[in-house]
Amino acid sequence: MSASNVDTSNRIQIEYDDKIARMFTIATIVWAAIAFTIGVFVAFQIAVWQLNFNTGWLTYGRLRPVHTNANIFAFAGNAIFAGIYHSSQRLLKTRMFSDTLGRLHFWGWQSIIVLAAVTIPLGLTQGKEYAELEWPIDILVALVWVVFAINFFGTLLKRNEKHLYVSIWFYIATVITVGILYIINAISLPVSLFKSYIVFAGIQDALVQWWYGHNAVAFFLTTPFLGLMYYYLPKAVNRPVYSYKLSILHFWSLIFIYIWAGPHHLLNTALPAWLQTLGVIFSVMLWAPSWGGMVNGLLTIRGAWHLLRTEPIVKFFVAAITFYGMGTFEGSLLSIKQVNAIGHYTDWIIGHVHVGTLGWNGFLAFAMIYYLVPKLWKTELYSKKLANIHFWAGLLGILLYYISMLAAGITQSLMWMELDNKGNLVYPEFIETVIRIIPLFYFRAIGGVLFLGGFFLLLYNICKTIRLSPRDLKNDTIQISVSPKAASLSEHGHRRLEGMAVTFSVLALIAIMVGSVIEIVPTLSIHKYITPENKMSSFTPLEQEGRDIYIKEGCHNCHSQMIRTIHPEILRYGHASTVEESMYDRPSQWGSKRTGPDLARLGKKYPDLWHYMHMVNPRAVIKESIMPAYPWLAKKKINFFGIRKKISLLHKMGAPYSEKERADADIMAEVQAHEIAESLKKQGVKENVADKEITALIAYLQALGQKGVQ
Amino acid sequence: MKQQALAHFTDTYLAAIGFFLFFFVFLGILFWIQRKGAAKHYDYMSHLPLREEERP
Repeated sequence: MSASNVDTSNRIQIEYDDKIARMFTIATIVWAAIAFTIGVFVAFQIAVWQLNFNTGWLTYGRLRPVHTNANIFAFAGNAIFAGIYHSSQRLLKTRMFSDTLGRLHFWGWQSIIVLAAVTIPLGLTQGKEYAELEWPIDILVALVWVVFAINFFGTLLKRNEKHLYVSIWFYIATVITVGILYIINAISLPVSLFKSYIVFAGIQDALVQWWYGHNAVAFFLTTPFLGLMYYYLPKAVNRPVYSYKLSILHFWSLIFIYIWAGPHHLLNTALPAWLQTLGVIFSVMLWAPSWGGMVNGLLTIRGAWHLLRTEPIVKFFVAAITFYGMGTFEGSLLSIKQVNAIGHYTDWIIGHVHVGTLGWNGFLAFAMIYYLVPKLWKTELYSKKLANIHFWAGLLGILLYYISMLAAGITQSLMWMELDNKGNLVYPEFIETVIRIIPLFYFRAIGGVLFLGGFFLLLYNICKTIRLSPRDLKNDTIQISVSPKAASLSEHGHRRLEGMAVTFSVLALIAIMVGSVIEIVPTLSIHKYITPENKMSSFTPLEQEGRDIYIKEGCHNCHSQMIRTIHPEILRYGHASTVEESMYDRPSQWGSKRTGPDLARLGKKYPDLWHYMHMVNPRAVIKESIMPAYPWLAKKKINFFGIRKKISLLHKMGAPYSEKERADADIMAEVQAHEIAESLKKQGVKENVADKEITALIAYLQALGQKGVQ
Repeated sequence: MKQQALAHFTDTYLAAIGFFLFFFVFLGILFWIQRKGAAKHYDYMSHLPLREEERP
């Protein structure tokens, strides 16, 4: 079995394709610089509202998705690919299946990122978190992913190492699951090249969205990174993984459990109780395999802890794995319904996410880059000292970030919930709870600056390192003896399983499908959850247009539309939201963060003029508001022409529009817009805004919570 | 028929089924990895990343 006792006459030489790993490594670093910089910018925007410069594409609602997508898909994505292309070839002892597919994958992925970076700031969005890209780009993502999958599985099939190392399992789970998640969550029907409506509505959409959203964390930011950990950590400390048995247990438990955990993003909402319970149970159980992985990682360093003093790479690994442990513990904690009632919609969640992304993904990627670049460019790291400074700056940055957000989240949440001895809210005005935490927004931004500063040291260090590399870079080669790769019948159990890539992949697929099917299929028959007496009427054509503007501007990045079944929340916003209230919402707006108040029952609370002034200058009506101004809404024209098509598509998808409404949607919208503009005029607005976007938005905001048939 | 079938999905015991399903898979793996004679194989596996650079 081992390399030493085979016939040496049967040897062949294999040359790896290292160039593709170099390409992805450089892409990782370049996109990270952009993604982190935008992150720091949007962090300052929360503290300083003026920083949108009264410009649409520079406003937080549009830039925040750029930040999240850039970090997940551009930074983490390219890092994953760099690691997978580099380590898979070595673990499977073969060159990648196809160089051409690899290049296609690389350039396809980079063009997706560029398209995303252009379309999202323009407001072309599906309005779903981490799945904002419009349908043509979604198709491109799916195609590029298939290219990657063919290349990856092709490599598996032509491998010269019979057994699949644990990292490879994690990669397999990633390739399969991300494909399924992304495609299902993005299924939509197009109105035009730049606008589509998601096929799922309301509760279905919320559930599918967070099944996707949580598993984007699981299968894009966790499993591939665990694969990288299981490969690069043993390399860095020159020791085998602490327990291979534990890694098997870790793998199967993790992928089996993770897929169920999505509903913990929807606790205390209108989601049926049995689904919430499932979400809680599996999220809490997830703690165990996560810590199994953490322990396995940390104990791999046993006997080599002295490297922690001298090797910045090991520092990054240890911190990353520790952050993984902290993040997963906190994740399970936050999934308990009562804790979630405090944490959800607050900055605590933002802090929690950044422990994972900055600490776990960021530091692990940095460790990998510091290890990989000297290997790939056949040289030594330019400066260990700079890497050390990077480590400490980054660590301090993360801690500052996390602690400020934890404090902000808990402070604000307790203020939301505080009742006086008569049972009334102590802070009935939402803005009071915002003012209190503004200083913490600055601390968070400073934390971000430290993390970014540290990263620029990496950038400099890596540029210098690459300069040191020899002129002609050769690919690594190995000599191997040709051995049969098919599973032999003499082996049993997991040993045989590892020899059978296809069977293994199918089992992994079953593991993730069990949870998906049990949770999602029932909600697809939404009628079961809808009481006939409570049915809603759908939005008028103008309101629907306003809704699309709301989504375009990214309002949902700061405002939820879901009143939870929590007493103080009902006191603040009105009776708890029902499943029916969002049944025609494509996509749903249940939300994940309240930088501003919930808007589920905003309609009729303020006059039209209030909304007009609030959009043009929020400070005119709420003195201390931190919302940016949206003056362009009063200048940009509504595209009445396109409304009819939208209404007829929404009707086809199930919204109850009459024949007249479908035929005259644009005319009806114009009539309603005129009414609103007239009333605004009477209240003192000088400009005629009958054809301006702000009018449609006001119509929508006034309709929120008003669609029940009373 | 489909509606009838789907109606069963809402029963709370589904949560229990999901839990026990996982629990038995977990126990299964737990016993499985302790098989006799597997230690040598796991040793081989865990050294895979480290052995690749050996040039025979």
